[in-house]
Amino acid sequence: MSADRGVNPAGEILVEAVTKRFGDVTAVNDVSITIPSGEFFSMLGPSGCGKTTTLRMIAGFEAPDAGRIVLQGADVTHVPPAKRNVNMVFQAYGLFPHMTVGENVAFGPRIKKWSRDETRERVAEAIRTVRLDGFEDRRPGQLSGGQQQRVALARALVNRPAALLLDEPLGALDLKLRKEMQLELKDLQQGTGTTFVYVTHDQEEAMTMSDRIAVMNGGVVEQLATPKELYQRPASAFVAGFIGTSNLIELRVDRRDGGLLTMDLGDGQRILAVDDEPGAGAGSRAVERATITVRPEWIKLSTGDVASRASHVGGTVVEVVYLGSVTQLIVLLPTGERLTVHRLNDEVGAEEPRPGQQVMLHWAAEHSYIVGSEAGAAEIAANVETPIAGVISS
Amino acid sequence: MAAVGEALGIGARTDRARRGPRRPGGARGAFGILFAPVTLLIVLFLVPFLIMVQMSVVKFPPRTDSGYTLDHYVEVVTNPLNPHIAWTTFTIATTAMIVMLLVALPLAYFMVFKAAKWELFLLLALVLADELAPVVKVYAWQVILGRNGILNWLIPGPPVEWLLYSSFAVILTLATTYITYTTIPIYAAMKAIEPATFEAATDLGAGWWQQARKILIPLAAPGIFVAMILVYIPMLTDFVTSDIVGGTGSYMMGQRVRDLILGEGNWGTGSALNFMLLAMSVLLSLGAYRLARLNKIDA
Repeated sequence: MSADRGVNPAGEILVEAVTKRFGDVTAVNDVSITIPSGEFFSMLGPSGCGKTTTLRMIAGFEAPDAGRIVLQGADVTHVPPAKRNVNMVFQAYGLFPHMTVGENVAFGPRIKKWSRDETRERVAEAIRTVRLDGFEDRRPGQLSGGQQQRVALARALVNRPAALLLDEPLGALDLKLRKEMQLELKDLQQGTGTTFVYVTHDQEEAMTMSDRIAVMNGGVVEQLATPKELYQRPASAFVAGFIGTSNLIELRVDRRDGGLLTMDLGDGQRILAVDDEPGAGAGSRAVERATITVRPEWIKLSTGDVASRASHVGGTVVEVVYLGSVTQLIVLLPTGERLTVHRLNDEVGAEEPRPGQQVMLHWAAEHSYIVGSEAGAAEIAANVETPIAGVISS
Repeated sequence: MAAVGEALGIGARTDRARRGPRRPGGARGAFGILFAPVTLLIVLFLVPFLIMVQMSVVKFPPRTDSGYTLDHYVEVVTNPLNPHIAWTTFTIATTAMIVMLLVALPLAYFMVFKAAKWELFLLLALVLADELAPVVKVYAWQVILGRNGILNWLIPGPPVEWLLYSSFAVILTLATTYITYTTIPIYAAMKAIEPATFEAATDLGAGWWQQARKILIPLAAPGIFVAMILVYIPMLTDFVTSDIVGGTGSYMMGQRVRDLILGEGNWGTGSALNFMLLAMSVLLSLGAYRLARLNKIDA
């Protein structure tokens, strides 16, 4: 992150140790985020996780109880929304129904008393940017949901904000339109170079568009990373569960050597995870139990020997669900846990396991990540505070 | 609707008509449902209306066999007293209307966007305030505004004379009588406004006055026009208020019509004046309706 800082501070946003309470409820709890200029940044989480409150504090619609907000190098914690060089796109759009598209877009420039020529020029440009040419004289009520959304975007972008704040802007659209608008938003962001701060509860949406994502839960940032890092190296069980499908396995640590935590299941079967602190060596710290995660597509059915740095475990198929591109198996392990396994359907007529059948599973140790360990609780907490450092360096 | 009913002489009757006997449905359903109210409208509104028109054009009303004339209309137009009364009526009604809008707009805004759990309470309070019989309300103002009234008792020094039996008293009383009919339509229009609209305007830099002028009032306009139709017409024809709390300077059209017909027995001029008042009210309604249509938001 520090490498990005200072390159172009025009749209940089700093959220510093911000806390917001509503009565007894702490909506946002000591959250710190740095959003470099020109980034497509998303805040992702279930409803009530504090993502919208954080966005509204950046916009100026809520005042934090503690901490500060810095925009373009200036402390704006107590500056009203109109005086901040950011604009917001609302979930309900908030279009002015009695004004035409052109008048809606020209609202900001007219309030700011730009010259007539400049207003006309910039409004036309903004309308062109969102591809609504020819719709200038329509009223919002005569437009489709997607078109209304674009008017809201143009109305915000015409002000040339340092950052555009979007609060679940696609929430009211149907799935197909949402997918189209996702790509359009990404294009728009790259075309204008504007910093986008995007709030959503839809993990797929966030993954599709974002440069980086802050996964939030219970008012704190669980992990802040690129979509790929979030998927491949979730920092917590919550992130693993929220981003895609994931298996959580309770690991009893029988051995700790060779940079691996090992649970022996006898008969050559074992479950492995890469050690968080490989330098620590055997017995240096009593890690007794750990929670590990593995994605369903990493798990393979095996017939013969498997590599030594791989988990290798047998189980009983209890459920087979054909999902199109993949077939999902639910496999019951001797430990009593159920693993979800995805098999890619890339062969015609390939033999499918049946419920009740015994199978052997394996996956590389590198594909299991520790998302929690009893003796390592302090370390997990540290991960939450500085997620990038905590996850990447591990 | 009671106020409109008083003004046009139809509300109470149509209410009664709705409760009238209904014929069972079937193919003649629409006819069956509409038969009773339409009959009552004809008997109780159209017939008296036609009689009134007839009275305004016969030579020696109430005798109908005396030949026709437009003299009564000429009398209405040429009598120098009438423009004066019309002007008084117009200024009193308009001032009361402005006062009501100045109260109703912020009140409706508060109820819709700020009151939260008090919204229903305020709405009920407004409705209950209207349930009180109008004459009782007018007399209550007499008690409050009188020379030895509550207000003068609170104000130190010698009693303020112009509080009662004045245009001020009439305006204040009219404004409180019709505040419910002004507020409710505006409240309903504002209910349809998406709250994010105001946040978006704030985000784009609009202050409260710009938001009121450019967002709130244009979007509430249909409600404002409806309120004006509902309230202006009964105020133009009101005579009870001015009778009880008004003075010599607040003699209104409603009183003039009443005095002509019931006082002087001058059916001709009274009917002509009443017909012209009605025509003006219709024109006013059509104008307001057109304005409301112009502002109608495409859904």
